[in-house]
Amino acid sequence: MHISYNWLARHVDLSGITPQELAENLTLSTAEVEDLFPFAPHLGDVVVGHVLERVPHPDADKLGVCQVDVGGPEVLNIVCGAPNVAGGQKVAVATVGTRLPGDFKIKKSKIRGVPSEGMICSERELGLGDNHDGIWVLPADLPVGTPVNKALGIEDWVIDIDNKSLTHRPDLWGHRGIAREVAAIFRRSLKPLDTRLPELGGGAAFPVRIDDGACSRYLGLAIDGARQEASPTWLKFLLLAVGQRPLDLLVDLSNFVMLDLGQPNHAFDRSRLSAQGIVVRKARAGETMTTLDGVERSLTVDDLLITDGDRPVALAGIMGGEDSKVEGDTSKLLLEVATFAPAVIRRTSSRLGLRSDSSARFEKNLDPVLPEAAAGHFARLLREIQPQVTFPLSLSDAGTWSDPAHHLTVRASRIKSRLGAPITDAEIVDILQRLELQPRQNGDEITVQIPSARATKDLGIEADIVEEVGRIYRYGNIPVTPLVGSLSPADSDARRKLVRRIQDRLAGGARLRETLQYSFENDAVLSALGIAGEPRVEVQNPVAEGHGRIRRSPLPNLLAAAQANRQRHGAVGLFEVAKGYLPEAANEHGEPHEVHLVAAVLALPPAKGAGVGDGALARLHGIAADLLGHLGVKLLHAGELPEGHGYPTFLHPKKRIALRSAASEAIVGFVAQLDPGRQQAVGFDGDCTSDLAVMELSIDRLLEEEPSGSRYQALPRFPEVKVDVAVLAPDAIPGSEIMNLIEQAGKRAR
Amino acid sequence: MTDSQLDPARLESEGLARIAAAGTAAELSAIERDYLGKTGLVAGLLAAIPSLPKEERGGAGKAANQVKGALTRALEARAQDLEGLALDAERAAVGFDATLPPPAVERGGLHPITMVTRELEDLFAQMGYHILDGPEVERDWYNFEALNIPADHPARDSQDTFYCQGSGNLVLRTHTSPVQVRAMQRLKPPFRAVAPGKVFRQESTDASHEHTFHQMEGLVVDKDVSVGHLIGAMKTLLAGIFGKEVEVRLRPGYFPFVEPGFELDARCPFCQDGCSVCKRTTWIELLPCGLVHPEVLRHGGIDPEEWSGFAFGLGLSRLVMLRYGIDDVRHLLSGDLRFLDQF
Repeated sequence: MHISYNWLARHVDLSGITPQELAENLTLSTAEVEDLFPFAPHLGDVVVGHVLERVPHPDADKLGVCQVDVGGPEVLNIVCGAPNVAGGQKVAVATVGTRLPGDFKIKKSKIRGVPSEGMICSERELGLGDNHDGIWVLPADLPVGTPVNKALGIEDWVIDIDNKSLTHRPDLWGHRGIAREVAAIFRRSLKPLDTRLPELGGGAAFPVRIDDGACSRYLGLAIDGARQEASPTWLKFLLLAVGQRPLDLLVDLSNFVMLDLGQPNHAFDRSRLSAQGIVVRKARAGETMTTLDGVERSLTVDDLLITDGDRPVALAGIMGGEDSKVEGDTSKLLLEVATFAPAVIRRTSSRLGLRSDSSARFEKNLDPVLPEAAAGHFARLLREIQPQVTFPLSLSDAGTWSDPAHHLTVRASRIKSRLGAPITDAEIVDILQRLELQPRQNGDEITVQIPSARATKDLGIEADIVEEVGRIYRYGNIPVTPLVGSLSPADSDARRKLVRRIQDRLAGGARLRETLQYSFENDAVLSALGIAGEPRVEVQNPVAEGHGRIRRSPLPNLLAAAQANRQRHGAVGLFEVAKGYLPEAANEHGEPHEVHLVAAVLALPPAKGAGVGDGALARLHGIAADLLGHLGVKLLHAGELPEGHGYPTFLHPKKRIALRSAASEAIVGFVAQLDPGRQQAVGFDGDCTSDLAVMELSIDRLLEEEPSGSRYQALPRFPEVKVDVAVLAPDAIPGSEIMNLIEQAGKRAR
Repeated sequence: MTDSQLDPARLESEGLARIAAAGTAAELSAIERDYLGKTGLVAGLLAAIPSLPKEERGGAGKAANQVKGALTRALEARAQDLEGLALDAERAAVGFDATLPPPAVERGGLHPITMVTRELEDLFAQMGYHILDGPEVERDWYNFEALNIPADHPARDSQDTFYCQGSGNLVLRTHTSPVQVRAMQRLKPPFRAVAPGKVFRQESTDASHEHTFHQMEGLVVDKDVSVGHLIGAMKTLLAGIFGKEVEVRLRPGYFPFVEPGFELDARCPFCQDGCSVCKRTTWIELLPCGLVHPEVLRHGGIDPEEWSGFAFGLGLSRLVMLRYGIDDVRHLLSGDLRFLDQF
């Protein structure tokens, strides 16, 4: 939100406070100032000029040659094409060397043979709006040669406050709210502002009916005799400073009141509203309306509408309707000032993707007392500018709101201990006073009066008051206190230790690369692996189609990552420690069963004439055996991994090895090749054709294993004899059987 | 056998000449074989002695032995010379280029998030913090309700939160903060805990936004924990992270599960007077934190009258990016070896 320094100064005396000090103090006590910049700094380079005379250009009908006094030693010769330039006018002159918005630098030039030493500017050329009908004619009393911004008193600074840091402060969505903070921080008093409604005529109030609780209050003020005209300079430039484009008086005033008090409002052309009056209701299914921006909106039964009997005239709290908007000839107005349920406004505005200054404020839960002040403010400002306006009808005021202001009793001792600050009772009371919370102290207890503006969302419990005191006292003034105290010994956390050992062994010993992957699966990879049908937790709103399922195992994503890397690398060895979620084994709270896994993929360029033990499967088997040995898990002789049991269905039907613990005889994981068809399907073909193997270990299973630590064995006293045994056996005899035989024989020989 | 072969003096001079000319150990052994072998020339001299007249035999024997001795000494000397020459040649290392790069060795390594997480875990463990874990697929209650984020709060928008299909009470956790209430339910106060892990936000990705990233939650519950304690703990933490004292400032920040809530800024450790990391402000926004909201303590089964606490959230992904100067958050989970191999 943009806040103007000059605008704030209407509400609080800022003398002696620089914009920089203001920004810094707001950041430290109230809300984050993201940026601070001067308003339209080029208006300091553009000077007030006096057009002494204008004569037609000798060589062009539409151009004029002006003699312009800009206070310098010489009168400037400026060629100007604007139709409205005339002798005697005060105008804005960009002299040679001045830079205008859009990085447009004024140069000395010759136009159709006549030298021109500057430019007489239009408002558009100065970035002050769309008006390009002619040059900007300044008030006649401005001193010649002075910078335009000084002469008009519109030098200003813009304070950009992060909207997110105002989420909980509906009272800070206008300049007066920020000024109230400034007053509290700098110990100044807020200037009085008369927002009482002016005297109203006695006509029967314009009918207003609320049919839905989402509108807590609806206030309608009838105004007659308003004229459409351009806003006065002060109003225009305050709006420009905060980034609002001035349009015409009624729209500008409506915006001004919103940006001043934080209360959105909307002026209807009363002559275009049906005599049935205003009815606030939810939209009907299939109903549509065209908003002010000319877009036709399809509505749902959750959207709140302002209607005139039946026809929608505004999307409540978000935007007015096209066919009841105030246009040039309007003199009868109905000013709507209302409060709506934040959630309803937020849902509609986010569903339609239609966020407005108004919806941003209603989403914060506005004070239902505020509409009356906002209506009064609008009426008084309008009458100041257009004394002829009248308010012919009684005020329409509907709704079942109640004043949220309330008392709260807090303990001074608790405020001190929560802050940990050496603050006195008197200081606490002083701060609460400055915040207009009207503290009354009684011993340790302080009773504060929470005003309605701060009661809808922000201040409700003692901890909230701790914050109020702390932020004005300044957190930076609180001394650092070391944490001391009794502590139970921290968890030993066996899993975390085990994971670290696994990571270190795989990264350091096996020289694999650890990677971290998304928890979302890619449906295309699942299909390629033939496992798209497995149960998976799935999100309703994935960031991309086909990326909404939560993984059970890291393997599919690892395979995809390995495949992508194989296009650039020879050998690829990746591993990941990850969680998997199994919805079919949810607990009583509906939480899916969480498993902890480590998986690895090794993809090598296709082997040429490699012997047994050189391929990816053998290497990964070696890595797994080394890792498990390092973890103290002794393995039984390798054997084929059985099918089923939840093991991946995309593994090779034969080249699959179970890693079975000798101690528990349980399978703690596997190494395997992929089914050759699946391997091709996930893209390991063409240039990526690979000798590929995968590994997966259950960390949960490993945690159940009783690790056998290393044990010293006496070194042999006799030189060892190496015996090379070659056995010729039929294919059907598994290697493990022969190994067992040899081992048994070896034991007997010992 | 020719006359010359029977002339010891000539045999000796020829032999010595060949030895002197030998350049390799193999040539030397060939010469040794020719002269001193069983059937060599010296053996020939000796063999010829019995056929000489008696009075010449003594002289001839002496002469032959002298030839043998001379050649043997010359062979040894030459062998030593050659050995020395060979060592010198090795020392000369002709063709060796110390400026060549080493051959590539397969590299393994840990992910940078793992490295920074471990560093922080160790730092906190030293200060008596438990290191906790929580589920990525989390109950709505822990992620929102228990943290004082009511049903209509904007954070619950489906633009921010991944909602799971089915039962209706599961989300992908949007922060590590749900571990706060899980910790309170599991541990008896007083305690200190941190919980690193993956979190999820439903948002489109670009160089500085990811839908999946890593955070570390911290929570301390004790008697009379104050803002002063919080500042002290954060200063210790930052000194650990950056390896030096870091100036900090605390300013108001709003998070529903803390009250009061703060943003903690650290004086930019990378510059003196503004740089791109701190966006020329000399401060970097680093740690959202605050005193635990009484309602959250209650949800965790802790009496807020008796106990108080502070909590903080550390953006691990952000810290890793700061630490290594990574300019695109999407690299972190890309699995791209061109990225991973840099660590």
